[in-house]
Amino acid sequence: MSDSHEHWLKQIDAELDGEMSLAERALLAKHLANCSHCAGARASQLEVRVALARSAGDPHARVVPRPTIRGRALAFWAVVALAVGVAGGWLAHGRWGGPGGSLEDSRAAIVVH
Amino acid sequence: MRRLSSISTCGGFAIAALLWAAQGPGTRVTYRVRVVQDGMLELARGSVSGPAGTDLRFALRDDTAEVEALFQIVPEGDTVLVSGEFYTKRRLGRSRRGLGLWEQDSYRRAVRLAWGDTARIHLFGRPRPGAPPGDGLWVQVVLVRGFSGGEGRPAEELQVLDSTMDIVLEAVVRPRRARVVMNLVRGDTVSGPRGFDLVPEAPARRVQMAMAGRTTTLEIGLARPEPARSARDRVLALDADVVCLRIATPEVAQPVGVVCGRLNDVARRLPLPGGDTLVATFAWPAGR
Repeated sequence: MSDSHEHWLKQIDAELDGEMSLAERALLAKHLANCSHCAGARASQLEVRVALARSAGDPHARVVPRPTIRGRALAFWAVVALAVGVAGGWLAHGRWGGPGGSLEDSRAAIVVH
Repeated sequence: MRRLSSISTCGGFAIAALLWAAQGPGTRVTYRVRVVQDGMLELARGSVSGPAGTDLRFALRDDTAEVEALFQIVPEGDTVLVSGEFYTKRRLGRSRRGLGLWEQDSYRRAVRLAWGDTARIHLFGRPRPGAPPGDGLWVQVVLVRGFSGGEGRPAEELQVLDSTMDIVLEAVVRPRRARVVMNLVRGDTVSGPRGFDLVPEAPARRVQMAMAGRTTTLEIGLARPEPARSARDRVLALDADVVCLRIATPEVAQPVGVVCGRLNDVARRLPLPGGDTLVATFAWPAGR
């Protein structure tokens, strides 16, 4: 797995250096579409190169924006987390009771069998 | 006719003896106790027995809770009223400076049951509705009575199967009599032991003790100790088997001194005015 990533990281370097053929670039693009790790690595490489270009005095260098979490996905996961929390609290209360409870409930009781 | 009369007389005596044995001082009470976790795991088992009027002192302690209780019984016909005084401490957490915070509570519970019935004591409250049967920690107590056979001393037996908990079972008996053994000591000389069966709060008794050709006359009487100062000690009857020996001399109106102790054969000393030392040990009287 790590060897495979090493291979693709070398490919990303070559692509950014402009040393790849069209077929190789297509192959890399296909891999980046499925591999978030390599896509992130490519974005980092780009950022580093942009920073270096800026420091070298290139005013047109720009940072490539990274993909961000979309609002809908964030809202969805927030609702899921809330629902799981409420359900877990409900079950735990039924099983162990809430924090504290009444004093009388915690006192000893004698039952005849 | 004479034969019928003798049979009926014998039957009457037998019934009277049976009733006396069942209700009177010849009765011996046994508490059979089991401590159970979640209905399956037995943490401890044991029994406590003693003459009629024997109470059961129970304690259970772990890192987070402490329950102490004194169970007393009042027989009424075929049933028995069991009442328990509880003292509990629960750990709530820690203070900002790292000290343990405890919640202390005391209350009383009572229930009526038949001899041989099982009382289940849920130490930390009744199980919640919907909880599995036998959920939580509980103590099972079975009360049995039988003939004492003249044995007036309490007996205790406890087997703790879970060492993470400290469990105590004790018989609490207020002695009706006590065996007091006394010696006089003067330097290296010790008098022969004199033993007396004394009844608490009975009138004082004059005794003579001889040592090295000299006779010392003392007036001795047994008394109950002063009531315990703390409510916990009083309710749990921690001084139930303590007696106090009051010693006086005929020449002096005021008592020379008082020696208090448990009935555990431990020697206690009291200096007398003449320079002698009285050594007294208290013990349960021998069975009759």
